[in-house]
Amino acid sequence: MRLKVLILKEWAELFRIKMVLYGCLFMPLFMGGFAGWMVWQGRALPAEGQAALFNAALLYFLVLPVMIPVTLGVYSVVGEKEQGTLEPLLATPLSDLELFLGKSIVAVVPALVLTWAVFGLFLLAASQMIPGGIPAGVLSLPWLLSIFALSPLMALFAALVAMLISSRSTDSRAAYQFAGLAVVPSLIPLIVYSARLTAVDLKFVAIEGGILLVLNAALLFLGIKIFQREEILTRWK
Amino acid sequence: MGFSPDPLILTRGLTRYFEARPAVVDLHLEVMAGEVLGLLGPNGAGKTTTVRMLAGLLAPSAGEAFVAGHSVTKEPEKVRPKVGVLSENPGFYKRLTVRRNLRFFAELYGVRDSRRIDEVLALVKLSERAEDPVATLSKGLRQRLALARALVHDPQVLLLDEPTSGLDPEAAKEVRELLSELSLAHRAILLCTHNLPEAERLCHRIAVLKTKLIAVGTPTELKERLFGRWVVVTLANPKPEIISALNLPFVCNASLDGQKLLLAVEDPERHNPILVRKLVELGAEILYIAEEERTLEDVYLELMEGGNAA
Repeated sequence: MRLKVLILKEWAELFRIKMVLYGCLFMPLFMGGFAGWMVWQGRALPAEGQAALFNAALLYFLVLPVMIPVTLGVYSVVGEKEQGTLEPLLATPLSDLELFLGKSIVAVVPALVLTWAVFGLFLLAASQMIPGGIPAGVLSLPWLLSIFALSPLMALFAALVAMLISSRSTDSRAAYQFAGLAVVPSLIPLIVYSARLTAVDLKFVAIEGGILLVLNAALLFLGIKIFQREEILTRWK
Repeated sequence: MGFSPDPLILTRGLTRYFEARPAVVDLHLEVMAGEVLGLLGPNGAGKTTTVRMLAGLLAPSAGEAFVAGHSVTKEPEKVRPKVGVLSENPGFYKRLTVRRNLRFFAELYGVRDSRRIDEVLALVKLSERAEDPVATLSKGLRQRLALARALVHDPQVLLLDEPTSGLDPEAAKEVRELLSELSLAHRAILLCTHNLPEAERLCHRIAVLKTKLIAVGTPTELKERLFGRWVVVTLANPKPEIISALNLPFVCNASLDGQKLLLAVEDPERHNPILVRKLVELGAEILYIAEEERTLEDVYLELMEGGNAA
C-alpha cells in the first residue's frame, strides 16, 4: 500500500514539471518519427532492403525505454534531497525496499507505456507506408520479445542505475553526468546487431534477458544495501 | 501538572560520534506523557542529532533510547509511526497542493481517513489554503504545514527542532500559539529551540545541552539552583554598615549597589517579614521591596559560562 502511495505521489509531482513532461514526450515522438521516416525512405526498395531498414528502425525502440528512466531516476533521490523532503520521508514507516522499488517503478512505467504506444503507432504507419505492408518475417518472435520483454528489463536496469547514482550523489549535476552509464545495456544489442548485420535471434534475446534479470536483482539488492539513511542525511548539506 | 508515570522518551547514556567528533555524549533524559521538555543549547550542541536519534533516523554510537516503549536501535520501524518530527527547514513537494502533501504523508503513516487531514488543516488554520500549491505559501505558513504533517498521524511523541527558526516575529508568535494549543494529554514533546522566552513559556522542564547534558529541571528550579533567591530592597538612606549589622541566619549573601540592597534569602515568603522588621529596627528607610526576577536567559548564559546547576 505504501508503495502505491509513493508511486502515485511521484507521478503527480513529476508530471507537474513541464520540462520533465515535455522531455518524456519528446524522445519517443522524435525516435518513433525518425524510425517512421527511415521506413518511408525505403518504401521503394526491394523486400530485403526494406527488411534491413525495418530492423534498424526497430533498434530505436530498444534505446527508448532506457532514456526516460534515466531522466526520472536520477532526479528521484537527489530531488528529494534538494527540496528538503528526504528527512521527513525517511522519518515515515516507508522501508528502504519500498522507497527504492517505488521510485524505480515510477521511472520504468512511463517509459514502457510511451515506448509501446509509439511502437504501435510506428507499426500502424509502416503498414500504411509500405505498399506490400510490413515485410514478412521482420516482426518475428525475437523482435517482439525484445520490445515487450527485454525493454522492461532494460528500463528497470536504467532506473536502478540512475537511482543508485542519485542516492550516492550530493549534487544533481554530478548525478546526471554519471547516469550516462545506465544506457550501456541498450547499446549492446545495437552494437551486436549492427556488427552481425543480421536480424535478432532468440538465443541473443534470451542471453541478454537472463543477464539483465540477474543484474537487476543484484542492483536492487546493492541499492538497498548501500542506501544508508543516516549517511544521506548527514552528508547532504 | 499530572504526568503519566512511564516516560514516552527515555535515553540512557545516549551517545553519538561523527567519526572522532562527539555530537552527543552520555545523554540521560526522560520525558513523560503530557510533558514538554525544552532542549536548549548553542549551535552544534547536539540538539538535532538527538532529535534524529530519537526519530530512528540516526543510530546511536553508544547508549540506548526508548520512544513510546520501543528501542530506537532495535525497533526503529516501530518507533517511526509513534513519532512526529518537525525539522528546522521542513521541505515539501512544492508543486503539489497543501492537501496533497499532507495526504501523502498521512497515507504513508497509514491514515486513510480524509477527515483527519481536514481536522489537522483546521488545527493549523490552513483549511482555506488547502488547494493551493505549497510553493505559494510563506515560510510561516509552511512551518504551520510542517506542524500539521508532524501531527497528522496523531503521534505519541513530537520532536520539534527549532519550529520558529527563521520566522518573522508575527509568524513565530502564530506557531508558538499553535504549540501551546496542542492537546498534550497523551503526548510527550521535545522542543529544541534557541528562543529562551519561547522555551520558558512552552516548556515544563528545560534541559541544557552542550554535547553533554549540563542541567535539567523546571525553569524555576534551574534559576534557584544557579542563583538562589534574591530580594532587592530599595532604601532612601543607604548605608554600608547596615549589611554588617543585619546578621540574620537566613541571609546568605548581601551587597549594596547605590540605593539597592541585594540580599540572598533562603525562603523570601517566610523570611521577608523578619527581614523588613530588622531593617526598620536598624533605621533603614525602605522605599520598595521585591524579589529579583531572573530569566531563563540568565540561567542559560550562566550555564554556558560554566555555572553549575547540579
